[in-house]
Amino acid sequence: MIRRLAWVEWKRVMRTPLAWITLAISLCLLSWQFLGTLEAFVGMQPGDRTLGLTHHLGLQLFGLAAVVMFFITPLLTMRLFSETFRNGTYTLLSSAPIPVGKIVLGKATGILLLQCLFILIPASLCLTLAGSTTLDLGVIAAATLGLLLLSAFYTAIGLYFSILGESTAVAAAGAYGLMLLLSLLDQHTESDSFLHWLAWPSHYLNFQVGLVDSSDIAYFLLMTLFFLILSHYRLEQRRSG
Amino acid sequence: MSTLLIANQLQRSFHGRTVVEPLDLTLSQGDILGLLGPNGAGKSTVMRMLCGDLAPSSGTVHIGGDDLLHQPLPCKRRIGFLPERPPLHLDQTVDEYLVDCAYLRGLGRADCKRSLLLSKRQCGLESAGSRLIKKLSKGYQQRVGLAQAIIHDPQVVILDEPTDGLDPAQIRQVRELIQMLAESRGVILSSHILSEIQATCNRVMILQDGRTVYSGSLSTAKTPCYRMGLEKELDKNVLAALPSVASVERLHTNYFRVTLQDGFSPSLLSRMIIEQGWELIELTPETLTLEQRYLEATTGGGS
Repeated sequence: MIRRLAWVEWKRVMRTPLAWITLAISLCLLSWQFLGTLEAFVGMQPGDRTLGLTHHLGLQLFGLAAVVMFFITPLLTMRLFSETFRNGTYTLLSSAPIPVGKIVLGKATGILLLQCLFILIPASLCLTLAGSTTLDLGVIAAATLGLLLLSAFYTAIGLYFSILGESTAVAAAGAYGLMLLLSLLDQHTESDSFLHWLAWPSHYLNFQVGLVDSSDIAYFLLMTLFFLILSHYRLEQRRSG
Repeated sequence: MSTLLIANQLQRSFHGRTVVEPLDLTLSQGDILGLLGPNGAGKSTVMRMLCGDLAPSSGTVHIGGDDLLHQPLPCKRRIGFLPERPPLHLDQTVDEYLVDCAYLRGLGRADCKRSLLLSKRQCGLESAGSRLIKKLSKGYQQRVGLAQAIIHDPQVVILDEPTDGLDPAQIRQVRELIQMLAESRGVILSSHILSEIQATCNRVMILQDGRTVYSGSLSTAKTPCYRMGLEKELDKNVLAALPSVASVERLHTNYFRVTLQDGFSPSLLSRMIIEQGWELIELTPETLTLEQRYLEATTGGGS
């Protein structure tokens, strides 16, 4: 049933111009960044090249990809539930033989499927260089995995805020606010504090440089799970009043 | 007729305010139960509880023998629900939307196709399959809402104001569809339009401020009241003194409303009047129309 719901959600999102516009803008921005990184690397003196091309791409291209995901995810998730509450279509799901948990997972998977298209853009751009230079495919794979985990984390936050009310604008604003807070938490906190750990940039940075640490994977999975459970709880509460 | 749905002491409160007081309801195959009541009486809340969209504060709902609270999935497979505002995705075509609905109700790919054709035929949507829902008239959108409620062939169909916004011809078509659906299913529909309930339902439940003020058959039940006309002018107290008469009310001139005492028949009353020489010209049993029953229930309060 999760697959069915994801498929229905995917079709619904792909029918909107928003998905195509954000996809086109992302492609332009990331291509621009890719060419800029490449040009800067080629212009460097060999002695100045402390990092390889793949690491440069991992830091700069996948860094911008995280920023792009930051901006587009709440735009994609804000309608997931809030709009269905407002126009009454949530009844289709609530009266259908689908458990609440599967509704949450199905919707999240549908958006994540769309985000996979965004995630594939930087990876594909890197792979266009495969014939002309030696790439560290491990770094690209790690950065892509990091971007996927970050997208799932963003999606769970966006989905949770879309359950809180009927206004899509409030859902997007709430998601932006929390995501921004979680990206700034490491700025003025002790490096070994819990608040510092809660910030995502340091966890994502490890993936960008090709370091796949199980604690970073656990961070993203736990945070995603936390917001999915909150969403499940909120939907159940809505039914019980 | 097998019992399809049993609601027992179903009650709902919102933030400490009771909007539906404990309510009992049964629905059998072939039944068309009308939920009647003024706006805000709790009709939609009852329907949402019956289809599992809203959890009751207390009480149980059994559908096809399963408890809706503890076994929601088999119960929800047996229910088709059309809310007051049809849950339509306006940017989809009719076919896309109905296939998605069938898909979400667990139908397989082959069943989807068959059910799509059947529900479209039943709701008169054969020619609208490739049209965008937002381009359809309100009447056609309502039909799409009905089609999604029956696409998975549910045993119980719950329709909240199904004829709202339709023109007279469309209303007649929807009535015929509901009657056809009820041949093999149970149907619950709500309306605040009396004629709608009268034309479609065989049972009625009248709600007022969340309370069930009447529940029973829709047939115009006979009351122990009789309208009586006499040729001769008579004081009503003289009539009231007859042993079979419980009360008398003068309607106009020589016409009265007579209520008989328990155990006395109208033939006995007529014989007494003739014996007294009062020249009986009319003795007609009075029946309660749905309108009278509704007004009596919602203004008088008793069931």
